[in-house]
Amino acid sequence: MKTRTWIILIVAFTLTALAASAWILMSKKSSGVAQVLADGELVRTIDLASVKEAYTFEVTTEKGTNVILVEPGRICVKDADCKDHSCVKMGWLQDQATPIVCLPHKLVIRIVDADGPDAVVQ
Amino acid sequence: MDTFMSFTAYGADEKLLQEAEEIVRGIEDRLSVTKEGSEIRRLNETGQADISEETAILLFSTLLYADMTRGALDPSIYPVTKLWGFTTGEYRVPARGEIEALLPLVDYTKIQITENEAGTSKAMLPEGAMIDLGAVAKGFTGVVLRDYLRQKGVQSALLDLGGNIQAVGKKPGGAPFQIAVKDPGRDGYLGVLSLDLPDLAVVTSGAYERYFEEGGVRYGHIMDPKSGRPAASGLLSVTVIHNDGVLCDAMSTALFVMGEERAIELWRKLNSFEFLIVTEDGRLLVSEGNEGRFTKDSGCAYKAEIVHR
Repeated sequence: MKTRTWIILIVAFTLTALAASAWILMSKKSSGVAQVLADGELVRTIDLASVKEAYTFEVTTEKGTNVILVEPGRICVKDADCKDHSCVKMGWLQDQATPIVCLPHKLVIRIVDADGPDAVVQ
Repeated sequence: MDTFMSFTAYGADEKLLQEAEEIVRGIEDRLSVTKEGSEIRRLNETGQADISEETAILLFSTLLYADMTRGALDPSIYPVTKLWGFTTGEYRVPARGEIEALLPLVDYTKIQITENEAGTSKAMLPEGAMIDLGAVAKGFTGVVLRDYLRQKGVQSALLDLGGNIQAVGKKPGGAPFQIAVKDPGRDGYLGVLSLDLPDLAVVTSGAYERYFEEGGVRYGHIMDPKSGRPAASGLLSVTVIHNDGVLCDAMSTALFVMGEERAIELWRKLNSFEFLIVTEDGRLLVSEGNEGRFTKDSGCAYKAEIVHR
């Protein structure tokens, strides 16, 4: 084909590709990104929406260890060696504004969600 | 205050947030009932103590609220709270005789604040009486921080002090902060409050978070100062909105003790704060001035009722 035809085809294809990707990005439901903080420092960022299989990981500081369980769309503290286990009792964190907190270990797991409430009064 | 706090300040630097943290610790050092060197501990142990101007102001405000609520809020309830084990976690249901022996000590009218010759303040308690400003400490901290941040040029911040909310201004750009209100009966929200005015504080009180169970009965941590027993006035939670965090803290506790009728009566009389009240029989009472700012959650099962002035 003539060069001009190729150019037109390439431009048309690129524009279509851009439009398609824009559509995909905009229609993707934001399911929140989970942040795990140890003593105020970010140690892990997890996009809960793109989790396919459940997995666990540990966060260990000089204060102790928490075992975090991640499943598609949600996260929780499965086990910990802190005294009261209130972090485990808090259960699953999905899309609420209330973080999971292990006070003795200074561990915080929170969802960063642009559409959700800014805080929860309780 | 041994609780999780989260401060989000727009346009603040690391240094300012560290200063905020220090302010919180300073207040805790002065107001703690257990910490060594705390003004309140010294007051409780010796019956009288010099107190800082800040503590004097807070104590004075608390006594005003005690008066306004006819003793539904009473900082001298502390010996009773201790008796039930809420201060140590060693919960127990005391015998009637034990409670009655302590009730004479619960009397906010006997707490005195006087001025020393040097101009400093002194607080005095009758023999055996002990106070705890825990019911207003977080609200107070929020107000102190708000004023400090404003003074330092911060025009927009959201302070979450263990569940007590204090806003500085509104969101950058003027949008209201959206505050979800916890549903006392299920794992979800009652709805969302849109803080349409700047500098608002929101505080919720209820027995649903701190309680123990014995013999199939649930005992909440909010004491009724008149009976010396956990308040049982037919309410599940009370949320108060106003720009004074101390008022919100004080009123949410007091209204929970007072029950629906007395709470609404006081709300009408004072004409200042707004509320959300969840009753045990499944109603969500929304004060008239709150109607425009509250959006009920679709999953909330309570029946909403507007309470008119």
